[in-house]
Amino acid sequence: MFPTQDEISAWLPDLLGGLSISLQVTAFSLLIGIPLGLLLALGVLARSRWLQVISLFLVEIGRGAPALVLLQFIYFGLPTTGLTLGSFSAAIIALAWNTGAYTSEIIRASLQSVAHGQREAAEALGLNRFDELRYVLLPQGLRVALPALLGFSILIFQGTSLCFTIALPELVSRAYEIGSTTFRYFPALLAAGVLYAAISIPAALLVSHVEKRAGLYAQR
Amino acid sequence: MDGAILCLPDDDWQRGGVQPAMMPASTDALIRLKTLSKHYGSHTVLDGIDLDVRSGEVLAIIGPSGSGKSTLLRCINYLEPPDGGTITIGSMTIDAARPVARAELSGLRRRVGMVFQSFNLFPHMSVLRNVSLAQERVLGRGRAEAEERSMQLLKRVGLADKATQFPVRCSGGQQQRIAIARSLALDPEIMLFDEPTSALDPELGLEVLAVMRELAETGMTMIVVTHEMGFAENVSDTVMIMADGHIVEKGPSKEIMRNPQQERTKRFLRAVHDR
Repeated sequence: MFPTQDEISAWLPDLLGGLSISLQVTAFSLLIGIPLGLLLALGVLARSRWLQVISLFLVEIGRGAPALVLLQFIYFGLPTTGLTLGSFSAAIIALAWNTGAYTSEIIRASLQSVAHGQREAAEALGLNRFDELRYVLLPQGLRVALPALLGFSILIFQGTSLCFTIALPELVSRAYEIGSTTFRYFPALLAAGVLYAAISIPAALLVSHVEKRAGLYAQR
Repeated sequence: MDGAILCLPDDDWQRGGVQPAMMPASTDALIRLKTLSKHYGSHTVLDGIDLDVRSGEVLAIIGPSGSGKSTLLRCINYLEPPDGGTITIGSMTIDAARPVARAELSGLRRRVGMVFQSFNLFPHMSVLRNVSLAQERVLGRGRAEAEERSMQLLKRVGLADKATQFPVRCSGGQQQRIAIARSLALDPEIMLFDEPTSALDPELGLEVLAVMRELAETGMTMIVVTHEMGFAENVSDTVMIMADGHIVEKGPSKEIMRNPQQERTKRFLRAVHDR
């Protein structure tokens, strides 16, 4: 039931290669998705009706559609419109969209949690809206958002396993491949699970550490 | 030298910049409100307020809660946009009945500083940065110049040693003095104070009142919404009583505080003294 020592050493290079791809997809999805989330949050909060509608549309699809559906749609659906993407790009686009949609709500709520008096003080000092956002609202709002954003990042890392369905050679695909050639599915998937945990658990500990520090800020 | 820091910037804009036709003949009002009104739904908060404040005048606004004092103050710098009437500051007139351009709004806010009941310092910035940020972003001062000016002002309010600290490490009274320095750093012509000592215990309130008194002595034009009757009587030149969105009575501070004419004023002052 458990992988043997020999199996582990035979599979490890392959599994680590898969893990590396999972981490790359996670990194790119977050690097694109979180700034997108910020833009969408600002769009939803914008005064312009027009910007609001577009942002809400993107957010609601990104949140409403399961990540698996987005992946399938972009990888298998878009080629029918003539746009063909590799599985790596398709994975990043789908997960970045998903990240953007979810984090926009986290960021929006955090921005709105900044005390009303902060905005008034910025206005009374004559700061324009951009400076108000840059110097007053974002630094305070993002601090509130940080633990939730990190928590979401762990979910996205785990969500990269869905890319198995679009033939991306990430961690689960590699484990599945090993299983299909050796018929040792359970040990192979177990090994993959351990690798996921090896990243997720320390990351979760980091999140709770950051959470505590963010709380301390109020009493600094 | 201290006076030079706090004193008004050159006031030639008031004289040179104003077209004679717009200049009221009888007064040298720096702020003139005409039939200023504000409603929340069907509730009238300000009911056609007419008010002149001279350059260098210190006006205390007192009155019961819900009388519209704070709303009036917040309408003057458009934190609450009024629904009707006009606000004239020096040569600049804003008509509340039409939409206000952003440039007008920033022009207004450059001239008018505001101090809040709850200080509203930026908690994620050092005290020094609190005072220098808007100088850099609004007035376009360089960082060195802004910080030098900030240090002068912090020294002025007795808090130069707090410059590198964060606001949360300062007492309420210190925070309010920093907030005053932050406002003064933009060289406003008028300072609005919205119950600046109401969130402070009496002793901490005193240190803030001392700074305000000094500011008044340098000739700053000030409008102060307050429950501090001592300040109203002794520091301000003029006292105005508001109730239900109206001005009940307005006049020289000693006269109003000692010998009010209106029954509503007498009732309010009696309630204050009986506490």
